[in-house]
Amino acid sequence: MNRNAYIDEQKGKFQRKALAVLPIYYPKEILTALDILSVELWGPPGPPRGADVGRVQAYVCALVRNALAFIAAKGVDKADGLLFPHTCDSIQGLASVVADMGGWEKPIFNYVHPKGELRPSAKRFVTEELGALVAELEAFGGQSLEPSRLKEAIELHREIDAVKDTLRIRRKFLPQNDSQLYQTLRRGEYLWPEEHLQELQALQKDLGNDVAQNGVPLLLSGIVPEPMDIFEHLNAAGAFVAADDYAAIGRRIIGTRMDTNANMDSLVDDRFAAPPCSTLSSDPKSRLHFLDKLLELSGAKGVIMHTIAFCEPELFDIPAIKVHLEKRNIPLLMLETEMESECSGPTITRIEAFVEMVESYRSAA
Amino acid sequence: MITRRVQYEVVKRAVAPIVTNFETWQKRTKRLLKGKKSKPPFGPPLESVQKLKSLMTRHYLEGRYADGAVPVAWVTSGFPVEILRAMGFHTVYPENHAALCGVQRLVPDLSSAAEEAGYSRSLCSYARTDIGSVLTGNTPVGRLPKPDILACCTNICQTVLYWYRSLANEFGVPLVLIDTPFVYRKMRQHDASYVGDQIKELIAAAEKVTGKRFSTEKLVEVLSLSTESTRLWGECLEASRSKPAPWTGIDGFFHIAPIVTMRGSHACNAYYRHLRDELQHRAKNGIGGIVKEKHRLLWDNLPIWFGVRDLSNQLAQNDFNIVVTTYTNAWAEAGRRMDPKRPYESINEAYTRVLLNENLEARLELMSRLCKEYSVDGVLLHSDRSCKPYSVGQVDIKDQLAKKLGVKVLLLEADHNDPRAFAQEQASNRLQAFMESFE
Repeated sequence: MNRNAYIDEQKGKFQRKALAVLPIYYPKEILTALDILSVELWGPPGPPRGADVGRVQAYVCALVRNALAFIAAKGVDKADGLLFPHTCDSIQGLASVVADMGGWEKPIFNYVHPKGELRPSAKRFVTEELGALVAELEAFGGQSLEPSRLKEAIELHREIDAVKDTLRIRRKFLPQNDSQLYQTLRRGEYLWPEEHLQELQALQKDLGNDVAQNGVPLLLSGIVPEPMDIFEHLNAAGAFVAADDYAAIGRRIIGTRMDTNANMDSLVDDRFAAPPCSTLSSDPKSRLHFLDKLLELSGAKGVIMHTIAFCEPELFDIPAIKVHLEKRNIPLLMLETEMESECSGPTITRIEAFVEMVESYRSAA
Repeated sequence: MITRRVQYEVVKRAVAPIVTNFETWQKRTKRLLKGKKSKPPFGPPLESVQKLKSLMTRHYLEGRYADGAVPVAWVTSGFPVEILRAMGFHTVYPENHAALCGVQRLVPDLSSAAEEAGYSRSLCSYARTDIGSVLTGNTPVGRLPKPDILACCTNICQTVLYWYRSLANEFGVPLVLIDTPFVYRKMRQHDASYVGDQIKELIAAAEKVTGKRFSTEKLVEVLSLSTESTRLWGECLEASRSKPAPWTGIDGFFHIAPIVTMRGSHACNAYYRHLRDELQHRAKNGIGGIVKEKHRLLWDNLPIWFGVRDLSNQLAQNDFNIVVTTYTNAWAEAGRRMDPKRPYESINEAYTRVLLNENLEARLELMSRLCKEYSVDGVLLHSDRSCKPYSVGQVDIKDQLAKKLGVKVLLLEADHNDPRAFAQEQASNRLQAFMESFE
């Protein structure tokens, strides 16, 4: 079932409103508690779906240009509103283009992230920003946020995180290939969370005691795994994704929480407990530490930094990551893509050569 | 520390004035010998240019001796610098320094150094220039003082945060951040509280670096000077409402340096008083920035620093003058919200509600107003590869301005600092065709 059909079904069966959400971080628990279906809009990949792509310059990231074209071409019309988290200058600009210059007539919401490290000012701001968003979404959804519903929603999402965390840690015991795994993980971008949890739990059941992935273990880091066929080529070359630092996937998993409550304060804490991300302006040093941890836990022998062209937040972290991995003698492949629908020939060749190189290092070791 | 302070004071009080006065005398003598003539298509040169050069030379000369003598902060152009100035910081503006490198065409070399260190060419060329300068130690100003603190405000972009963090790691000094939530519709109460809280955090950080107590009285004093700086700068710009405009928008790009780097100082205000008087005198006497001003343009976005001379010549040769720019105007707009009677609240609002931190609707309104106030009949939108916050939305703004005001609009692709990202011939041809469309 495609996303539009799924939205129709959710509306028909449960009378749920749907909110199209731009990347990356937003309090999904609040939407769930208010019975609002969130459908994430990562582009979509492939050629732009309409002439409005020209309303944003070609030197802006393809995710933003594709999203504008898609919205203006009525690709998101099944949704009842749009939510723009304040992820970067380009998505902030897109939010203003859509709201002020036309292309979307339904409600628009903004969710502003404080930038930089955890400071008392930032924590207070998150609390108030969440409160402001709740008020707007209550009006949009036509119902109040009940603390009991919020508690249930937070617990549901924590369960999802916990299963994803297990799958992450025990990846090599999972028989599915990367394409199958990531298709399931990414269905969480639009499925109702309970359905997504069921799919994840089904995967979890497949976890065995024997190692199922014998390929070259790699760590992939970036914003979003597009084009998705990158996984096919990785697997075909003899590698697999042992650790994930994609903002769309791994960086949104909070493995361990200090806070066991399930209320608005917990959501505030979660904002600062999330893994480091360039778009949240986390200190690159904490990201290096996080990558080290992922390498250690997964046994990954090489890193692929998979960036989207013109993504400033991510590109600013690259120099520190390069130096760090070089010092640790860990092979690094830099891949830059533009939300294409499939990997280009040269990209595939580079992946194959990289896997071969890492494999030769591994054999030599 | 004491020796360094004595050195700094001697340079500030004696050497810098002597050097700059000597330079002024030398240039004045040369000019007297040659005679003060206009060089068509431009009008007579501005007297103030020499003062500007002296002022900026002095600023950078003092800077060479500042570290170790007084606390030094590297600051973004939109940072509420009044707080730091009130605590005696010497401030350095990497953006201004990068622009200086741009004008002197040093960017390809400096940027290459940054690129070799892993910074992508897709990143802002100001950032690449400054990072390259720090990595190589090359600078056209002799030497930049090492910072004790890096101070950045996200009201112009988020790029500055990434850029300054790279610098903070390089220098091993703290980074203070004023994060201003983007104003989508109106500035909300909790946006103001957030910025207010951060101003308190900034004061605490600055006290820690300087070892001094912060004084609100001193802040009010600096803010009064700053308000005056921006008012005077606004009056300089407004002189271009007269026909012909007494200077060009390109002149304005260069004369913006003191308001960016020295606002809130007596020297800045003295300079702008002089410039304003000169511009008003020229306006009153019909002396134009160009000899024959046939068409008046608005410029949007940063200048193309490495190409301003060519642009200026091409425009003037065709009797076009840029009479107003959103970029230079931004510093005049911010000042209107400053109020020494409400120092903290007004700083909060003035620095949150800046051009690049408000939505496109507000920007379109501003540009429409400027078009009318300055009797503009054409608009040049610099689509700046290096500045996403300024450039996203320009395509729609182009259509809206043409539709609502009936002005001709050109979107010109370039980059504010990196000539490698600029197709000179193509841009020149497009500009020529644009100007011919006015016939």
